[in-house]
Amino acid sequence: MRDIYKLKRIVPVFIFILPAVSLVIIFVYIFSGWSAWASLTNWRGIGHFGEFAGLNNYIKLFTQDPIFKQCLINTIELALVFIGITIPLGLVIAILLDLGIKGKSIFRAVYLLPLSFSFVVSAAIWTWMFAPTNGAINTLLRILNLDVLTQPWITSTKQSLFCIALVYIWQFQVFATLVYYAGISGVSPNLSEAAQIDGASTFQKYWYIIVPLQKPATLTVLTILLMYTLRVFDLVWLMTGGGPGYSSEVLATYMYRVTFNQNLFAYGASIGFFMFVLSILIIIPFFSTVMRRSK
Amino acid sequence: MKSVKNICIKRIILYIILIGLAFFYLFPIYTLINTSLKTTQDLIWGPVVPTKQIYFGAYREALSRIHKPLVNSIVITGFATIISSLLGAMSGYVFSKFPFRGSTILFFIVIIGFYIAPQSILIPLVRFLGMIGLYNTYSGLILTHVAYGMPITTLLFRNYYESIPDDLVESAKIDGCGVGEVFTKIILPLSLPGFAVVGIFQFTNIWNEFLFGLTLTRGVATQPVTVAVANLKGTTFAAWNVQMAGAFIVVIPVMLVYIFLLKLIVKGLLLGSIKG
Repeated sequence: MRDIYKLKRIVPVFIFILPAVSLVIIFVYIFSGWSAWASLTNWRGIGHFGEFAGLNNYIKLFTQDPIFKQCLINTIELALVFIGITIPLGLVIAILLDLGIKGKSIFRAVYLLPLSFSFVVSAAIWTWMFAPTNGAINTLLRILNLDVLTQPWITSTKQSLFCIALVYIWQFQVFATLVYYAGISGVSPNLSEAAQIDGASTFQKYWYIIVPLQKPATLTVLTILLMYTLRVFDLVWLMTGGGPGYSSEVLATYMYRVTFNQNLFAYGASIGFFMFVLSILIIIPFFSTVMRRSK
Repeated sequence: MKSVKNICIKRIILYIILIGLAFFYLFPIYTLINTSLKTTQDLIWGPVVPTKQIYFGAYREALSRIHKPLVNSIVITGFATIISSLLGAMSGYVFSKFPFRGSTILFFIVIIGFYIAPQSILIPLVRFLGMIGLYNTYSGLILTHVAYGMPITTLLFRNYYESIPDDLVESAKIDGCGVGEVFTKIILPLSLPGFAVVGIFQFTNIWNEFLFGLTLTRGVATQPVTVAVANLKGTTFAAWNVQMAGAFIVVIPVMLVYIFLLKLIVKGLLLGSIKG
């Protein structure tokens, strides 16, 4: 009798979470497993799944593929430039907005605008901004009589990756600002008042009291930014196509190119599964702290 | 006196920095709108010089190429947003108000899905949709967006329902209400702000999405507008006004949402990121 009662209570609970849980398990976990399995074959194109090939794809990936190595270096470089600028800038802007200036909400709204844009739109705008002969940046420099500063931008092997990082900063920087702003607003006013009574300057107040309290916010921002760097596809694919040469090719675009342009499905799956492993590595620090806090 | 002057100078420097940043954010948007309103002849003056006249020819040209994908995107985004928000509300509600043994682990398993790079699942996804006959269909894209929306909608709704006191639910449970009744009678009427936040979040993400649209559709009959706008580049060489017009058409709906519902969006971003 009691069991039936319990069953009657628990079954509706499961029905409520069944769609979410089953969709995620199939589309995320089973599919990732499928990628892992496919990466151990020689599957080419749609159709026949190919034969078992052991670790051949991974051996090729890590020892015989200079383009993959280049993609790995590019992805790391992109992360370093993008995150290295976004996090300090986000913190600084959040503090500036916290200083009690007029028009704070207008500034915030302006900074927030690009975050709503599709990467497809950003890619179109910035390809036009960076166009070397008649693009907006070089035109503006010429109008200002600063011709010496004009650059080849995305058409140069040295600058293409940096240009993509700049667009990423343009679009995502405000996310860091928002999280830090919320973090700074969350600092107890007593703390900063106490600091001021002790004679701390505004700079000292922020540097010694408020900034050190932003570690959780930093971890959140870092995790999200790393996640977005790893999966960056649209911007690279549409702005530079990974070029010139392979100077801006990243893991995500290379995976797509190998799979859908060269029909090397198994090889593409090995890059895809490698990216699954990286995704998990990225979130370990974040989730271990969140889980510790939730206990 | 000196310190007053000092503070004044500091303020001015502060405003110069903030306005400089605003220029960095707005100049590309100015370029976008300015170019989209130019005639083809006017283009030789480049993107910086203001357009000589307000000309909508580039918009007509862009629309003639992307009107079908625009409809596709409206249908796909509409259905996927509504379905994923509803399913997320249901699961977020259970994870918040009806915890059971192992529910925390299950919750983390669900939300970790948000962090997995889509490239990890892309090949099986294409293959799977082909197998069940949904490759290159609206339903295929809707199903995909619903599935990959589950982690974030579940997380957002779980965090939103945490702010609704447990007492409300407890007293209803004592009155003999089951999970379904508590949901429809107590939780749903209180969920409007939650649906607004999650709905906007999903709408923006799905409307803007490119990779799934590119991989899972073929041709204008099904492709979303983002893919069609990206294709404007290949067909009309250097017709920057048409490309910019197409890009601006994609931006209009999300920009309107952003301008009018800014507070809800900020709330959504923070609800999803801070509490984990």
